[in-house]
Amino acid sequence: MAGIYVHVPFCKHKCTYCDFVSFSNKEGEMQSYFENLFKEIVYRAPAHKNDTFDTVYFGGGTPSYVESLLITATLTLIKQNYRVSKDAEITLEMNPGTVTKDKILAYKRAGFNRFSLGLQTVSDQELLRLNRIHTKKEFCEAATLLSGENFSVDIMVGLHDQTKEEVEESLRVALNYGASHVSVYALTPVDGTPLYTDYLNGELPDSDETADLYHTAVEYLKNRGFHRYEISNFALKGKESRHNLNYWQRGEYLGFGIAAHSFYGGERFSNTENLSEYAMCIAGEKSPVVFRERLSESEAEEEFIMLAFRTEQGFAKAEYEKMFGAPFSLRYAEKLRRIGKYLDVEGERVKIKDEYFYVQDGIVAELLS
Amino acid sequence: MRTPNQNIRNFCIIAHIDHGKSTIADRMMELTGQVSSRDMEDQLLDSMDIERERGITIKLTPVRMFYTAKDGQEYVFNLIDTPGHVDFTYEVSRSLAACEGAVLVVDASQGVEAQTLANVYLALDNDLEIVPVLNKIDLPSARPDEVCKEIEDDIGLDCSDAPRVSAKDGTNIGDILEKIVTAMPAPKGDLDAPLKALIFDSFYDNYKGVICFIRVKDGVIKAGDVIKTFQSTKTFEVTEVGVFAPKMQPTAELTAGEVGYVAASIKSVQDTAVGDTITTVENPAPAPLPGYQKVQPVVFSGVFPLDGSKFNDLKEALMKLQLNDAALTFEPDNSVALGFGFRCGFLGLLHMEIIQERLEREFDLDIITTAPGVSYYVHKTDGQVITVNNPSHMPPVSEIDYTEEPIVKASIYSPPEYLGAIMELCKEKRGVYLDMTYLDNRRVRLTYDLPLNEIIYDFFDGLKSRTRGYASFDYELARYEESSLVKLDMMLNGDPCDALSTIVHESRAYTRGREMAERLKDVIPRQMFEVPIQAAVGGKIIARETVKAMRKDVLAKCYGGDISRKRKLLEKQKEGKKKMRQLGTVQVPSEAFISILKTEN
Repeated sequence: MAGIYVHVPFCKHKCTYCDFVSFSNKEGEMQSYFENLFKEIVYRAPAHKNDTFDTVYFGGGTPSYVESLLITATLTLIKQNYRVSKDAEITLEMNPGTVTKDKILAYKRAGFNRFSLGLQTVSDQELLRLNRIHTKKEFCEAATLLSGENFSVDIMVGLHDQTKEEVEESLRVALNYGASHVSVYALTPVDGTPLYTDYLNGELPDSDETADLYHTAVEYLKNRGFHRYEISNFALKGKESRHNLNYWQRGEYLGFGIAAHSFYGGERFSNTENLSEYAMCIAGEKSPVVFRERLSESEAEEEFIMLAFRTEQGFAKAEYEKMFGAPFSLRYAEKLRRIGKYLDVEGERVKIKDEYFYVQDGIVAELLS
Repeated sequence: MRTPNQNIRNFCIIAHIDHGKSTIADRMMELTGQVSSRDMEDQLLDSMDIERERGITIKLTPVRMFYTAKDGQEYVFNLIDTPGHVDFTYEVSRSLAACEGAVLVVDASQGVEAQTLANVYLALDNDLEIVPVLNKIDLPSARPDEVCKEIEDDIGLDCSDAPRVSAKDGTNIGDILEKIVTAMPAPKGDLDAPLKALIFDSFYDNYKGVICFIRVKDGVIKAGDVIKTFQSTKTFEVTEVGVFAPKMQPTAELTAGEVGYVAASIKSVQDTAVGDTITTVENPAPAPLPGYQKVQPVVFSGVFPLDGSKFNDLKEALMKLQLNDAALTFEPDNSVALGFGFRCGFLGLLHMEIIQERLEREFDLDIITTAPGVSYYVHKTDGQVITVNNPSHMPPVSEIDYTEEPIVKASIYSPPEYLGAIMELCKEKRGVYLDMTYLDNRRVRLTYDLPLNEIIYDFFDGLKSRTRGYASFDYELARYEESSLVKLDMMLNGDPCDALSTIVHESRAYTRGREMAERLKDVIPRQMFEVPIQAAVGGKIIARETVKAMRKDVLAKCYGGDISRKRKLLEKQKEGKKKMRQLGTVQVPSEAFISILKTEN
């Protein structure tokens, strides 16, 4: 398994909680950004002559905000320069406020076969407060346009004054419009974002209330036939995101564009987060990579456990032993005595028990320290 | 050239904290040219950092000065400094035994204080000639005439020609020097008799071995002499004798009446115990000088290295401190929560604090100290009586017939308007009222019997806050009394946490248990499971708090495949785990745990 990620760092407005690498009011730089992106895609291609890619993912930012031609041209260029398998999963992130019938048609024609729509909540008042650029109605219109397509919806919990009913209503709308996949994220107030001020002033639900809201979402989705295949991802059988699973299974991937991360040949590396630095590197035919690390065997092993524990399936005992040379239950015998109760280690696989999924960080830290 | 005895004066200075003892000593040294004022660090006598910072004297520091008096003769002054705090009465008695006189310094605005009185009586008991001095006459609030009358009434000393000085601006310091010559007796002592020298202090020097501070009572001591003490069988050859000027300065010999030091390549301080008498092997004195009464520590606390691997460093540090602080006791202790450390005994709370600070500063150790406790007598049902100063040594309730706790007689001095508040405090602290005396119209002395374990808890703070800092107090151990004492255990998730156990009066158990549980609740981070915090007495739960289980700790969004960031977060979490202390099944950050122990003090 291998994937390709393309970063599109442009938005109409920045949401109040966003600390991702994305920019508003930089419409003038879109064209040149994509020109540089094209160059990077072509420039790196020769090194991957023998690789096959099973997923392509366009994330952002808001990929659907930029002119659709730039997006479709990027995908075409990737397909021309890299071996992308015939049944590849090709996803595009979209904001409901930027979707039109023509755009979707263009995307589909270029080969996109999966879409990810950011709804977050059906409360218009909250959408406004988060500086989202769309309403519930616009989501419904966008979802209608995607009718019959394989699409995912993002929902957030832990919003201002959010109730269980509101969470259920948001999920109900998403599912009724045909979503086959849902990502539920707990709002994380990050220092430096406008939302952080709300958090400091106690305007957001606390960690326990958020956990309750999350639990509501988990139960609702379970009743509608969605299984939690990863900590924050839910899907109908067979509709899991292969691109995301690849991250958790330590598959290889290439990232193009600013701030994009790659994992290839045992090395993790990432591009600059700075638009002009990126442009200068490409112009000078230099690599825009600013961070690079090769993992030691013990680091790789820790990462393997940390990532696998995010998934419903965990990891296979046989695979672990093959990769790291000793049975998991032997190497961690002592730790397991103390935290074994949080894990399911009986069968052929090792995984975190459902009820402890949401304290995964603590369990992993305990296991590995 | 030796100074004849009639030209030697050995004396100490007695003063209440803050009344200006160290400053007066500094001025005297300046005036006698002992130290040029230019290179003089303020308050030379207080050589420890802690002493200078707190403005108190803890250790004895002798100094020699030369003074040419009005009679035209040159005199040698040996000033042996004394600590002012009540905890250090023992040290005071040591220095008094080396002197013939004492300068009593009294603040001309504040008058005589309780602790001063105790030391004055100690000096009188030692037959010392006392020279009263009024200091701080430069202050607008000075009332020297009234204070003179106070001294005459309270102590019975004639103050008609007492020097009135200001150490701050140097006024009349010469009067003190002259008074020392005229009023204090010269040391007696037989130069030709066998050597008798009292060891009044000692410290360890890395090159010279143990340095003993001595007062020669009879005979002569010089380099090359083979000496011994009365309590040890070992003999030593003297390598150096000298005086304090104020740094150590070798001299040819020390003779009867003189104060100085002796070094003899002594490896262990046990061989030259403070209070013992040095004599020569060749011509030994038949009997030692009267020694000191051995003091018993009254306050105990566990001292543990923060880093378990520093146990030996801590042990070495305590041994070095004990060299010249015989009052410090320690024995190995171990705690599930804190690892290996020591149960230390101190003379009082200040002494405890000083030792803790010296361990941290002079030996650069990070230490954790447990809540201070006292020594109890436990009468067991089998007739045995044991002394318990460590809560973990308390026998099970079923084996205890009855317990006794130390009671102190406390004198509290205060302006009359705070009497009500003080009496209320003493009542809360299980005090028994004994007496009340108006010393004058502005000061009252209240006398109470108080359990020592109440005093070491938060009595000082309570007294200060309720009297806006105006009250002062003083106590002495009176006796042991039968009392209902219980061991209060704190349990985390069902496991007792030994470091937090205390012995308390039965009537206090609930309040203390409740407080501790609430404080623990605040500092224990949420775990994957619910953590009950329980206070228990004899297996019975008396208070409970609960730390709820962690519900969610995942930062769910993983952005664009940035796994490196995730791994860094994990590394950080792992680092944090290392700083956690495992208390049974519960993990508590070290700092939080220490903060609990600190607030207990």
